[in-house]
Amino acid sequence: MNTTPVVELENLKVTLGRREILHGISCRLGVSGTGKAVGLLGPNGAGKSTLILTLLGFLRASSGRARILGLDCRHNMGEARSRIGYMPENDSFVGEMTAVTFLRQMAELSGLPPGAALEKAHEVLFHVGLGEARYRELRTYSYGMKQMAKLAQAIVHGPELVVLDEPTNGLDPAARRRMLKLVADMKQEQGMNVLICSHLLLDIEQVCDEVVILKDGAIVHQCNLEEERRSNRSFVELEVTGNDRNLRMALPEIGAEGVSEGAGRWRIVLPAGVEVEAIWALAARQDLLVRKLTHRRDTLEEIFLKAMGHLSHTPGEGAALSVGRT
Amino acid sequence: MVLPRYAWRRLYEQRLVVLLTMAAFVWPLLCAGFVYLTNHGELLQGLDPEFRAFIQVNGRFFSIFMYVQAGFAVFLTALAGPGLVAPDLANNALPLYFSRPLTRWSYALARLIVIVGMLSVVTWIPGLLLFALQVGLAGGWWFLANWTLGAGVVAGFLLWLLVLGLVAMASSVYVKWRVVAGAVSLAVFFILTGVSEMIDNVFRVTWGHVLDPAWAVNRVWCTLLGVNPPDGPGAGASMLSLAGFVLLLVLVIERKLRPVEVVR
Repeated sequence: MNTTPVVELENLKVTLGRREILHGISCRLGVSGTGKAVGLLGPNGAGKSTLILTLLGFLRASSGRARILGLDCRHNMGEARSRIGYMPENDSFVGEMTAVTFLRQMAELSGLPPGAALEKAHEVLFHVGLGEARYRELRTYSYGMKQMAKLAQAIVHGPELVVLDEPTNGLDPAARRRMLKLVADMKQEQGMNVLICSHLLLDIEQVCDEVVILKDGAIVHQCNLEEERRSNRSFVELEVTGNDRNLRMALPEIGAEGVSEGAGRWRIVLPAGVEVEAIWALAARQDLLVRKLTHRRDTLEEIFLKAMGHLSHTPGEGAALSVGRT
Repeated sequence: MVLPRYAWRRLYEQRLVVLLTMAAFVWPLLCAGFVYLTNHGELLQGLDPEFRAFIQVNGRFFSIFMYVQAGFAVFLTALAGPGLVAPDLANNALPLYFSRPLTRWSYALARLIVIVGMLSVVTWIPGLLLFALQVGLAGGWWFLANWTLGAGVVAGFLLWLLVLGLVAMASSVYVKWRVVAGAVSLAVFFILTGVSEMIDNVFRVTWGHVLDPAWAVNRVWCTLLGVNPPDGPGAGASMLSLAGFVLLLVLVIERKLRPVEVVR
């Protein structure tokens, strides 16, 4: 069974000018050929793009090693590049070319024979919804269409790994949904591994199976979203008026755990099997007036906020333990 | 050859490039007529014998042919050369190319091949055809006595095309804007000629010429074609200065042709 990680970092340090951007990060992300998506999360300036550019061989590591699909990013980059597709964050295209010519050229550069490259170019352009506009020059495309063309060029040669840098940036809601659906299709139907770099939690949560959170050039958290989802915990955002000092002590009565954010605001984790009605009942017993109650099965935001230091701990941590014990 | 193939197609879709390329064939056709005339003495009967002795296909003839075509090559480079590289930089297309099995040097080489290929059509290829025409009309003895002229035309033009190609690429990667890059490609030659003339006149020397790549290439051509050279440094010094100029251009390309720009 193939267990080659999609990305493997060993004490990777990257220095730009005199400034060290990545401070010796180590991790193993994804498993090659499994059709899973790894999300690279972090605030602006965390080092996400620097990491991607290093993995692509655009930047050189000052020390440590980076491997992509088991291939060293310094010594085997030629082979690695024929097996990956890259969609950059910024506008990137050859303006004077039609979409179909552009994609054909890119596919040929990745090693496809001219005939197959043309066939794939047409197929992929239809797949991303640019079929009708495929004979138009790329410079005439709208921003959303250019994003789709960028995605198309990244997958036209059928790579094993697709690296997407902020794929939904600047897209309207409909285009964003379409982009995320395409990414989900890529991994589920075509078995491609996907590495997505984004600062949008919802995007990552929607399509990723594994998440790495970067902050100030270091990995501050790594988790498997699939496992988090499987734990089936649900999260409640609660806003109450009244004396809520006893609420923290009362929550374990129903097997829940929560943190107060002040001013009557709470984040509560409900274990599997406990419904949101239990919170209503608990609030009633505590003589609290519920002003707002949002119920969702969502973990990433808490994980992210904790990793960023905005929460003292993830509300689900204790609950997960207690669920595991019972 | 994927990049050159697509680039050539784009190149000859530009009407101005096609027009200038066609215009560049006028002089070779006139030269071919001249070669034909010199080899058909009966057509020249009645002309002054001294004039008949003057018009010969020799090193001087090929050097004049080369000066004119070299001029066309400069304008063609300024017109078409930057269009091959500058849009890729302006549109941030380099990350797309370099995320594929394509190195910076293979990209640069591919672009250089396109420029040299485009200019070859109006420089050494017609030059070699003229040489072949002369050999065909004059006979094998002429080839045996003057084969160095054919080799000189090819080598001299290739040297010039290398300089032109690198100037076009360096100006494109530096300014990233096609029109400006074209103007810079032209300006480089005018400015360097002006600077070299200024140095020569101010310091009353002749070595200032080596700073002018056009003069240096011309000096090398004179040696290759066996033509009386102009006053100034020799072919060796000119080759050295050209090597330095080429190295400088390669350094500019190396520094600027990158998929990502690191702002320090």
